[in-house]
Order: sequence, then structure tokens, then C-alpha cells
Amino acid sequence: MKRILLTPDTEKEIDVDPSSAERHDLETGTTLVLDKVGKVHKITHGGGRLLVNGKEVRLSLADPRNRRRSANAGNDSGRRDVKAAMPGKVIKVLVEPGQTVEAAAGLLILEAMKMQNEVRSPGPGTVAAVRVAVGDTVASGQVLVTLE
Amino acid sequence: MVQKILVANRGEIAVRVLRGIREAGFTAVAIFTPIDRGALHLSHADEAYPVDSYLNPDAILAAARRAGATALHPGYGFLSENADFAQFCADAGVLFIGPTAHAIRSLGSKTAARDVAIAAGAPVVPGTDGPVTDIAEARRVASQIGYPVLIKAAAGGGGKGMRLVEKESELESALRDASSEAERSFRSGEVYIEKALIHPRHIEIQIFGDNHGHLIHLGERECSIQRRHQKVIEECPSPLVARNLPMRHAMGEAALKVARAAGYTNAGTAEFLVDADSNFYFLEMNTRLQVEHPVTELVTSVDLVQMQIEVAFGAELQRKQEDITWRGAAIQCRLYAEDPANQFFPSPGRIDRLRMPSGPGIRLDSGVYEGWTVPMDYDPLLAKLCVWAEDRPRAIARMARALGETEILGIANNVAFFRQLLQDPDFQSGQIHTGFLKSFEYAPDTTLTESELEAAIAILASAEAPAAAAAPTALRSNWGRR
Repeated sequence: MKRILLTPDTEKEIDVDPSSAERHDLETGTTLVLDKVGKVHKITHGGGRLLVNGKEVRLSLADPRNRRRSANAGNDSGRRDVKAAMPGKVIKVLVEPGQTVEAAAGLLILEAMKMQNEVRSPGPGTVAAVRVAVGDTVASGQVLVTLE
Repeated sequence: MVQKILVANRGEIAVRVLRGIREAGFTAVAIFTPIDRGALHLSHADEAYPVDSYLNPDAILAAARRAGATALHPGYGFLSENADFAQFCADAGVLFIGPTAHAIRSLGSKTAARDVAIAAGAPVVPGTDGPVTDIAEARRVASQIGYPVLIKAAAGGGGKGMRLVEKESELESALRDASSEAERSFRSGEVYIEKALIHPRHIEIQIFGDNHGHLIHLGERECSIQRRHQKVIEECPSPLVARNLPMRHAMGEAALKVARAAGYTNAGTAEFLVDADSNFYFLEMNTRLQVEHPVTELVTSVDLVQMQIEVAFGAELQRKQEDITWRGAAIQCRLYAEDPANQFFPSPGRIDRLRMPSGPGIRLDSGVYEGWTVPMDYDPLLAKLCVWAEDRPRAIARMARALGETEILGIANNVAFFRQLLQDPDFQSGQIHTGFLKSFEYAPDTTLTESELEAAIAILASAEAPAAAAAPTALRSNWGRR
């Protein structure tokens, strides 16, 4: 069957035969794959992530028939969201709307697991909006600040 | 009636101590905060009582009374080094498994411990006893102890009011800057001068005392692999001491001098800095069980938690100094929920998959399980992976094998970081110091061979359409469900 193999920065069309290699399930979420030349590969998967022989990789397959055109294409001109890399609590907000910031400038401070971490600007820009306030608990991936 | 011991802690150390309590034949009592309702340590307890915080002495003592516990083990962190809490337990008639409030107090702060050490004749980092104010005195002291020197704020910490001075011409301005920075930060411009140790090692000595005047040491642990003063790998023996065994005896004696002077009982750890010429200087005493105690247990065959309980209940130490022997090598890796690819940012969240190693020479002290959500409210230590082998090269090889079996999915973690670190030639040869990780560059191997990629694609394809599984080994996994 035809599939598109997606990595964080590439995509290519491939032919997939799911029954080509010998597979054995171990515990839930871990599968052994024996390839044609006798190599054993241990693959653990869960939560949309994959460990291949211990190496964490970001791979996914898409069906070319249901695939919409990439939503991000042409959407790069204006606003940019700075998202929380990890869950945490907002300890301090260092910028306000309208302020211009340099690349790597501190935007706010998040605390998790007794450690404080500064969230920095991914590039130069102007702060369009601060989406959180001091004391807020934020989830991973939540938008913190919008730059333009 | 069987007596009960309450563990005033959480996570892997609560699990470790609760196990020890059961082995000693006592009833094991846990406490838990609302966040820790489903935490692993409860499964190792016979009874568990809610508290609002692991830092609330009243709530903890109320739980102890409710349980009818006769003794309390504080673990590490939280209230473990709080002299008032130790006294509070004693006053409430609950045996505190650790040193006395008096010993904790007299060694509690770095400066107090330094004074005890100087009085007892243990070596400390050379420097001034009191604050230095005028430049003439500073010049005299600095040339006496030798450059480079550090100027430090007497009231300070965290690097504020600290200046490294390489030569005399820089001394005057550095003294002025440090003093005014200290004034601004701590409202006290008092500074003192200390010898600057460049790339020191951090080596510590485990000590142990009973209530009958016996004190012994159990040798050293090397903890030089640290990041932001947080230890990451610990080992016993120290690769340096292993090449120079008289150091173990000398450092042990120095640690015992400080312990004797403070009337120390139960488990404690004397921390030392060691310079390039193997001179060692007492830094401070940790008046509790250490995170890294398992490596000492593996090499000396002494169960420190059992010994803590026995001694607290009044038993004499069964081992004399000459009974303590060291066999083989042990290494501990602290598995943290943190992202080495993103400034070691903490990474709480759900553990989707957890595969832990086993087999020869492995000891795992874990506080987590698959499916549990690691809360953002506590520190990021997930588990301590320890190995023992006949010698250090074999221990490193065993740790590499064990890390190869370790798989954690769902939260960022430092397993791949350790795999790379163990291959570092300087680590392998034991050429380590406290600045080691500053120059270590993490570059995770995420490239797949062609056949690995094919295998991964086959798994993704089967997970995509489990109903259409024509393959004889249909996947039972729930991967891919959103």
C-alpha cells in the first residue's frame, strides 16, 4: 500500500508491506521485528512515540488519499506562537504587548519540579499578546506568547 | 505487638525505606499528599495516611499519632535536615531515625560545620576565618593561601557577591565589586577570601555512629558528575581513591573527627572537595541518608537503612571499622524526568511505556510505574539505576547494557544522555571533576539504519489498521488510538 512517511522535517511517498517482516509482540507496546538478514529490532511504541532499538524517533505514516494539503504552507508570514515545551506554572511574565524583543530574549519564567526555567523568544519580533498570567498552570503545547 | 515506623517522604526514597522497614519486621506506614494519591510508595506500605504537605510537621505528627507509630524515618530532602522537626518528634515521643536535633543544628549550616571542622582539626578550604575589609589584609591573606582565590559574600549563596581572582593586580577591584554586590543582595557587604579550587572533584565519606560512642566510616563515594550542583552519576569506589587507597583512610579519619566533635549518631555524609594534587578539604555534613547511598551498600554489603533502624532503637553497631571491606565497583545513574535536548527542562507527565532492566548486578530503586503521571509539584527523580561489578570497567559495561534495556516513553528523560556519557573517554578513564558536564555536549543518536527504518514502518503500518491484520502475528497494541 502507498503511504507518506513523515518526519519532523521531511516527507516522502513509500510502498509499505506490513506483513513483510517477522514480528512478535512482547509486552503491550513492545514488538520484536526480525529482518531478512537476521537482525533483531526492538520497537516500543506508545502515546504516539516510537523507540527503535532504544532510539526515540519521530515518525508517522499518512494515507495519501486522506491527506489534506499541508496546513502550514503559506501561513508563515505573520504571527508566531511561543508554546510551553513542558507543563508548568507561570512564575513571572517578563514582557508586555507591544514590546519588541530580540532573539533569545526572556519572555516568561515557568516553574516545574522545583526548577525555574526561562522561556525565550525563538526570534526577533514584537509581542502581540501574552496568553497567560502569573499563577496559571499551563499544559505542554499551550500557547504562552504570540509574536509578530 | 509489632511496632510501626512512619516514612515522612515520597518517591523512590519512600519505597526504599518502606522496604527496609518491612525487612526489619516492623509495620510500614506511609503518608501521602492529595497529588500523591496513586503514588507507588503507597503500595509498599501496610497503612497510609493523608497529609497536606510533606513539609508540615503538625500534619505528619498527627498521622504518626493516628497510626500509633513509635518511630519516624525522614528520608532525604523535605524535613530530613530540620533540627526543629527532629526535636518536635522527640518531644512528641516519636523516635526520629537520624542524628539528634543537637547534632543537626551544630552541623546544619556550612559555616557552622566549617567552624566545627576547624576546631576538630579536619582540613577545610584555606581562607580567612572572618570577614576581610581592607585591601592590605586581603593582599596578605591571598598571597599566603596562593592564587587563584575566591572572594565570597559572608551572608551569601548562589554565586552572588562572588569573584574569582587570578592574580594580585585584580584583587582590589574584585574586592570592591564583590562587597558592593553583597551589600545590594544581602544587605551585608562582608566578604571573605578562600582558595579557589579549579576543577575539583566532589568526594564524600559515609559515616555511621551509634548511641554508645562508636563511630565508623564506610568509605567514599565519587559524585563529581554534576550539573548545577545536582549530582547525576555517583560511584564507589572513587576512581581517584581506588588508585590511592591511603586517601580513603585519611578522608575517613577527617570525617570522623568532625563527627566526633559534633557527637554524631546514625547515618551522615561528610562532603569534601579534592584538588588536582589530591588534597582534600571538608565542605559540609549532610545529616541524613543520601540519595546515592545504594552504591556504598553494594560495595560494602552493609544495609544502611537496616543499620539506621537498629541504631535508632538503641542497638550497638555490630561492625567495627576493621570489619568494613570494599569489594568491586558500583555506579548509580539518576534517571530524571528532564529533557537533555532542551536545557534539561523538567518534564512531568504520563509515563506511557516503562521498561526497566534486570539481570546480573542490577539494582533499581524506582518511585514510578507505567501509566502513572509524574506530577509537576515535586522533584524530577524517577528512579536510581545502580549496577555492581567486579571492577569499574565491568561496571561501566554493565551500566551500558542496563541502559540499553531501559525504555521510557511519554516524558522526556535522560536515559539516552547516560548512554552517550558512559562512552566518554574521560569518564571511562576516571578523569572527572565537577566541571565535567559543562564541557560535555549531548548529541543523541537518532539516525536509523535502513533495516531499522523498515522495521519501524512495518510497526506503524500494522498499528494503523489492526482490523485488517493479515499478518499471522497481529498487533495487540493500542498504539495509534487517539
